[in-house]
Amino acid sequence: MHFKVRAAAKEDCKEISRMIMELAVYENMPDQVKTSHEDLERDGFSPNPFYECLVAEVPDEHKTKDASSSLCVGGQDTLGSSTRQVKRLKCCPNDGYTVVGYALYFYTYSTWKGRSVYMEDLYVMPDFRGKGIGTGLMAKVAQVGVEKQCVRLQFSVLEWNKPSLDFYIAKGAEDLTAKEGWHFLRFHGQSLDTLAKEAPKD
Amino acid sequence: MDRFKLRKAEPKDVPDILRLIKELAKYEDMEDQVILTEKDLLEDGFGDHPFYHCIVAEVPSEKQSNNSPVVIGFAMYYFTYDPWIGKLLYLEDFFVMEEYRGFGIGSEILKLLSHTAVKTRCSSMHFIVAEGNQASIEFYKRRGAADLSLEEGWRLFKIDKSSLLKMSSGPKE
Repeated sequence: MHFKVRAAAKEDCKEISRMIMELAVYENMPDQVKTSHEDLERDGFSPNPFYECLVAEVPDEHKTKDASSSLCVGGQDTLGSSTRQVKRLKCCPNDGYTVVGYALYFYTYSTWKGRSVYMEDLYVMPDFRGKGIGTGLMAKVAQVGVEKQCVRLQFSVLEWNKPSLDFYIAKGAEDLTAKEGWHFLRFHGQSLDTLAKEAPKD
Repeated sequence: MDRFKLRKAEPKDVPDILRLIKELAKYEDMEDQVILTEKDLLEDGFGDHPFYHCIVAEVPSEKQSNNSPVVIGFAMYYFTYDPWIGKLLYLEDFFVMEEYRGFGIGSEILKLLSHTAVKTRCSSMHFIVAEGNQASIEFYKRRGAADLSLEEGWRLFKIDKSSLLKMSSGPKE
């Protein structure tokens, strides 16, 4: 199947937002998505963007025949009891999608090695998997990273997500949590606010 | 230790920042992995497109004997993005020299970082810690940090430059 990988434009944010939700459903965490496509537009397409994004699109003859995203409501709930918590997206054009995957990434910094690129999300719609689109998206992120003199690409995967784990390991990825014992920690919500209130005054 | 000051790092702090980066790497038994130079730090932190921001902790020089450093701690951070909740503050490195620990300097740095996160509309502050570093894990957990690797099963992966080059020059679509 012929596909194209290109830099996302502001107009793609509705499609990206749809796919972000699809990925969250796949990861069993749909109620954790709080961003809207307007947030994505503001945060990715201002003079100081907080992320960059690539989209994969297929020509019109391959696009989905109908609203096949599990999130498209068309007036009725499609996810049963969990739908109330899921943002209901009325973004599906009647003639199907051309954007079928995305990779969202940003630049980070290692005090040991310098510039790095972190791939936050990589997603291809289920009907379009197994055709090299995920590989194509990731290869483009790698290419962008190399052009920007990044020394490595990092990302995180849920430990139960075997298809993704196999996909990445086949490409030379190393599991640093297993190999070096790194754990992700965070201060979120109340714990962040509590700490912030005790900060020294300016 | 009654007087210390936290401030934004300036270009002149780069030699001290690199010194502290190497001390932190030594603490983590990975000193030989630091390949960054002062020139890299200067260009990457204080150029047109900064890749990081840095806070330093300093003690007044009149209180130090000759040759003792004035900058005795640092925290390096940058902004990342979570498509579910938006902007995040990512804490990359956080270190206070051994002889200055136990005086609350680390706590104050963490509070200032949290304040910066909230002020810049970040929903969360993220970082990684090696599971063998129990002292640091306890420090963070006492202050309300959650371990997402344990709670949600996230594992960190990397792909090094040689594999990146191979991937980026692979077959086109």
